[in-house]
Amino acid sequence: MAVVPVRLLPDPVLTMPAVAVGRVDDAARSLAVDLLDTMAASPACVGLAAPQIGVSLRAFAVDVTGHRHARSCHGPFVLFDPRVAEPGEAVVAREGCMSVPDLTGDVARPADLTVTGFDPDGRRRSLRVDGFEARAVLHELDHLDGLVFLDRVAGPHSVFARKVYR
Amino acid sequence: MVRFSLSAVGADRPGIVAALTGALVDAGCNLLDSTMAILQGQFAVLLVVSAPDTVSAQSIETVLAPAARRFELMLAVRPLAGSVPDAADAAGREPWVLAIHGADRPGIVHAVTAALAEVGGNVVDLATHLVDRGDTPLYAMTVRATLPPGMAQSAAEHVRAAAARVGVRCSFHRDDADIL
Repeated sequence: MAVVPVRLLPDPVLTMPAVAVGRVDDAARSLAVDLLDTMAASPACVGLAAPQIGVSLRAFAVDVTGHRHARSCHGPFVLFDPRVAEPGEAVVAREGCMSVPDLTGDVARPADLTVTGFDPDGRRRSLRVDGFEARAVLHELDHLDGLVFLDRVAGPHSVFARKVYR
Repeated sequence: MVRFSLSAVGADRPGIVAALTGALVDAGCNLLDSTMAILQGQFAVLLVVSAPDTVSAQSIETVLAPAARRFELMLAVRPLAGSVPDAADAAGREPWVLAIHGADRPGIVHAVTAALAEVGGNVVDLATHLVDRGDTPLYAMTVRATLPPGMAQSAAEHVRAAAARVGVRCSFHRDDADIL
């Protein structure tokens, strides 16, 4: 078990595309544990991508359990080398990020989608997610491409200062 | 009817908008367009108003003077020439949103907007945020700009290169609106 310090923008690891994990080995499983432990250490955190803990690999964790905006909920899960298919219509909502703790922004994202990847046991998983869980998945996937929500905000008046982040 | 631009700047306090707009009603003005902002505790408002031909910039200033004194506002009223086309709305120009972020340093806004101007881009809206966390301050800027038709790709390359020279990242996305 390891809670890893979360990297903050402008850390360059957050703006570079991450590399494919490929084979799910012990190192990948250890990364999954770090992602889940670090995510769980911040009660408001619903997702964490490997670059956010300084690892430039295509892996993320999501857990929207108990979140007031959640529709679908698959509990805590980690996916390696994730891909998105069948995105639905976009909706706009405000989101924040552990790596940009002082700002939030209004971002349009598909309201539902299928995300496919490999779990820590190396098994292929395909999840249909919608609502807040879909947003969380897409937000984390952006991190794997070196993007943060600031890159997707609707316009200059869609970024907001935020005083507190827990 | 004649039009005037009006700007007012001063330390933010409750009641400024109410006082200014009340005085504008008394001055015979009608608000056409307005925007306001509070930056580091400083209130700023920019308005375009219309008024009957008998109204002058000076008469508006006279009616607004008590409110300006009370709230210690720097006030400027200027008459506007007849209708001037908005460069941002020129036919065929394409709307884009640019997101820029990176370690803060002087010259980021200039580098990006100068590169935009070099490719014929017109800034129509811009906001910046400095997040000073003590270690490496983050500068985030979002720009809405219009570009000449067909220029998006070369403009993006040019602006990205300029952004990279001052150590920031710039991403472009089309400012699309779904008309319902």
